[in-house]
Amino acid sequence: MFRNYMLTAWKVFLRRKMFTAINLLCIVLTLVVLMVVAALLQNTFYPTGVEGKSARFVQMVMVESSHTDKGGRRRGTLGYKMIAQYLKPLKGVEAVSVFSFPQAVSVYQADRVTDRQLRLTDAEYWKILDFALVSGRTINADDVEQGRMVAVINQSTAQQLFPGQTWLGQKFNANGQIFSVVGVVRDEMHINAYSDIWVPLTSAPSSDYKDKLFGMFSTMILAYRAEDLPAIKRQIVAVAKTVQYPDPNQFNTTRFWGDSKLQLFARTLLADQTEEGGAGKLLAIIVTLMVLFMMLPALNLVNLNVGRIMERSSEIGVRKAFGATSAQLVAQLVLENVLLCLAGGAIGLVCAAGALWWLESSGLIPYLKVHLDFAVFGYGLLITLVFGVLSGLIPALKMARLDPVHALKGTA
Amino acid sequence: MIRLEKVSKTYRTDKVETLALKDIDLHVAKAEFVCIMGPSGCGKSTLLNLIGLLDHPGSGAITVGGAPVASYKDKYVARLRNNTFGFIFQSFHLINDLRVIDNVELPLLYRDMSAKKRQRLAREALEKVGLGARMDHYPNQLSGGQQQRVAIARAIVGQPQVLLADEPTGNLDSKMGQEVMDILLKLNSEGTTVVMVTHNEQEARLAGRVVRVFDGQLVA
Repeated sequence: MFRNYMLTAWKVFLRRKMFTAINLLCIVLTLVVLMVVAALLQNTFYPTGVEGKSARFVQMVMVESSHTDKGGRRRGTLGYKMIAQYLKPLKGVEAVSVFSFPQAVSVYQADRVTDRQLRLTDAEYWKILDFALVSGRTINADDVEQGRMVAVINQSTAQQLFPGQTWLGQKFNANGQIFSVVGVVRDEMHINAYSDIWVPLTSAPSSDYKDKLFGMFSTMILAYRAEDLPAIKRQIVAVAKTVQYPDPNQFNTTRFWGDSKLQLFARTLLADQTEEGGAGKLLAIIVTLMVLFMMLPALNLVNLNVGRIMERSSEIGVRKAFGATSAQLVAQLVLENVLLCLAGGAIGLVCAAGALWWLESSGLIPYLKVHLDFAVFGYGLLITLVFGVLSGLIPALKMARLDPVHALKGTA
Repeated sequence: MIRLEKVSKTYRTDKVETLALKDIDLHVAKAEFVCIMGPSGCGKSTLLNLIGLLDHPGSGAITVGGAPVASYKDKYVARLRNNTFGFIFQSFHLINDLRVIDNVELPLLYRDMSAKKRQRLAREALEKVGLGARMDHYPNQLSGGQQQRVAIARAIVGQPQVLLADEPTGNLDSKMGQEVMDILLKLNSEGTTVVMVTHNEQEARLAGRVVRVFDGQLVA
């Protein structure tokens, strides 16, 4: 019986090539988009790779300062002093790192100028993030304390600046400062790790940054255990209330929050200044958009299947006349849809792998490393199968319930 | 073999109610060849469909093989159709996507039978109607007469007690029609009950008994 069903299904697919192609396209497109989006989201928000400890840390970028009576308000990025004075002393944390956002710098060499991104970091930065060292070492506490002009660069920068040469010990001029390469790390595309060059905080041309509550810095606060994070977040909110400004007439109230990566993204995107940061809202928006995106091909699939099954009224009538039960017919028609979905799933998997490979190698997102997530593929395929089964089931049930005489006459 | 008692059938649409058959009493004996005749729209095919349980009566009782049709529940009638009846339609109703042999084995798919046995029986049925050489063809590669012979092979492959044929020669020329009639007569002579709807008086004369329908009622 199964062979007969398979033969019929195969012939039906071949007979209606356009239908089959559109059906497959819907499934493939859905799976590819789902998997690419999931891979990007996973790369951004999940504790993977260099940010493998992100389940154990919170990060802070923004501070909101205001005055209770005068109504002035300032939202800006954190200054070194805000982190060093109020956040470094937090209790029960494993490490607190201060580091700058990537800044564009020009690297001057004898025959060319290369534009790169540079971060100023402390030594804790390298303890919290798990960079893969290609050669040499990372920046340590001594480098920072003594303001050494040393640099860690990534592999792409090393290859570009010093092709065919030994990387360690090379000197380069970035915005007029001479740095010596002490380490080379693998390229990384993560929110906190992304850069081409890393140098000690204290190598900055001026030490003015040390006195500023607002500035160009960010912080990661690493807990010993993920379970400690809620208490640390509460500590951060409490610490905000103790911030003193040089001019109390300008600001007397401070708000900042320790956020997970998703919360930070949501807070920035949705300008949500609640404690939760709008992460739930952002997830709901992402899920809704993805469901809406999947609904379109799914509805198309349902519509096509209804038409396809209805036009096979005569075959269904014959099968009923010769002894097929409604359940057997439903099973046959649904099986056809399942086969189509599985074929679409297989093509979708290959296409998604191709799309991710292209995304990685195109350089559209620098240093991006994404992988096929088979769990996401499984969920995607499951959803497609559910749509496939449902879209086959509805018309199949309708046809299977008909008296054979009506099915044979095509008067469904 | 088959008995209809006071069987009526009415078709209803939103506005119109059409009485297709009224108080039909009919008995078809085992191994009988009965022809149902009458003008177009008189209810011949409806009567044949009711006998074959392809449709359910509005009122009255139908007995098949001595047992009354107790219900028209899906599984029950499906098994009864599969075990008792073989159908031959005017427009063949073959599945064009399947090979001839796959079409013929279709009734056996719904029995607990090995694929090997199904194929053997299908081959034998095709050989019986003279199409042993066409097993791997597709229906649309055959002539009308050959397609109807495939339909007959499909109808007899499960060795049904009753063959129900709805104008089986209606779409065929006289030569092919005669070939089909010869096969039906041979099957009947071997003990299969045949009930056939036809417009053709010549064919009707070949049957053992002719039943005439007029305006949904049997006439003498």
